[in-house]
Amino acid sequence: MSGRVKVKFRLNGASKTDEIEPNQTLCDYLHDLAGTTSVKKGCDTGECGACTVLLDSMPVTSCLVLAPQVDGREVVTAEGLGTKSAPHPVQREFVEQDAVQCGYCIPGMVVTLSWIFDHAPGASDAEIKRLMSGNLCRCTGYLQQIEALKAARKKA
Amino acid sequence: MKSFQYLAPIPHFEYLSPRTLPELFEALDGHGKEVQVIAGGTDLLIALKERMIAPKVVVDLRRLRRELGGILVEGGTLRIGALATFSQIESSPFVARYARALRQAAANVGTLQIRSIATLGGNLATASPAADSAPPLIALGASVTLRSRSGSRALPVQEVFAGPKRNGLRPGEIISSVELPANGDIQSSWTRAAVRNENVLSAVSVAVASSIEDGRFGPSRVALGAVAPTSILAEKASGAMTGSRATAEQADRVAALAAEDSRPISDIRASAHYRRHLVQVLTRRLIIQLISETTGP
Repeated sequence: MSGRVKVKFRLNGASKTDEIEPNQTLCDYLHDLAGTTSVKKGCDTGECGACTVLLDSMPVTSCLVLAPQVDGREVVTAEGLGTKSAPHPVQREFVEQDAVQCGYCIPGMVVTLSWIFDHAPGASDAEIKRLMSGNLCRCTGYLQQIEALKAARKKA
Repeated sequence: MKSFQYLAPIPHFEYLSPRTLPELFEALDGHGKEVQVIAGGTDLLIALKERMIAPKVVVDLRRLRRELGGILVEGGTLRIGALATFSQIESSPFVARYARALRQAAANVGTLQIRSIATLGGNLATASPAADSAPPLIALGASVTLRSRSGSRALPVQEVFAGPKRNGLRPGEIISSVELPANGDIQSSWTRAAVRNENVLSAVSVAVASSIEDGRFGPSRVALGAVAPTSILAEKASGAMTGSRATAEQADRVAALAAEDSRPISDIRASAHYRRHLVQVLTRRLIIQLISETTGP
């Protein structure tokens, strides 16, 4: 079998080249090999959203993307949304609003809500709920995360 | 035990990402039945993980976005490239104007994360009886353009489906685009029933496309999803609706015929009896809505 696939892509703003096995998911590659451990494997079937990353600025479940499909594209994980000193407004409000319990869903949740913050600033409560329906949280019940998004909007 | 299989890696395959259509067709023709096409991948990755398929070669379409993507109106036709994602369809002004039912369905497919990469061509190729894009396309009289090394052919969208999760594509053939009439007089809408509102497969979906002039329906189509081995045109309902008076009584009659046209089964999402009932309720609801939107309250 011809093996690895050469890829060149951008990961959290930095150019990255690698040779990767085609039979792995982007989720496994990012978490296990690329060092971006915020990317969590939950269901591995595209239901739970814990592995959500931005692929060319759109939120995707990275467990449903083949790793070699990133060639030539831009990937942003929760690590790339902001820094500790300059977090994304949604990241900052997740801290302020205590929108975290066990934490496993949070990187994916932050990626989706940062996208809603950046791309759907007018989204109503019902629309926010529709857009975040692909991120399951089994601890907090979603209200704190929605409050965090709205607080971030208020301060923007 | 499928849950344990997720712990094991997907069996190895060769990955090809052709840059031109000739390269694509060469890759498809050169590997016979061992080849699998990937577009968005949201169905394919599940099939790989569950060992429903074990291709030797996976051919990625994503470098062919110029040839197989885009949404445009040209000479009275709305053409949606096979690689158009549901997010692109949901936000396209052309789709909103000429194919509202498809926009409504696209906005309900999966989740934001799925809609961001899942493609219209992939949804049709997977040929799930519950594919949400299919009833709107059938109602709107869409045709699908298929391409292979030897040329292209067009099929009415319902003929792309050969059975549950079986498409009628020939070896070496891909879905290239979907064409529908860009006719501003046609009103269409889609709705569905499912066990919850989001992130769920439809138990029943219904699309209706028609126009109303002088109190009568013009050419009309009612299409049904998840109530037959494939998405279907409800023939008796469509025939009875076309040319008939646009009244609530007629909506009742057409809805009852749509239930007769359906051939549902019982499964984890709904019983056959309940599905048939839902076909009637949802069809009636869409027709009443069409009447009130066109003629005012």
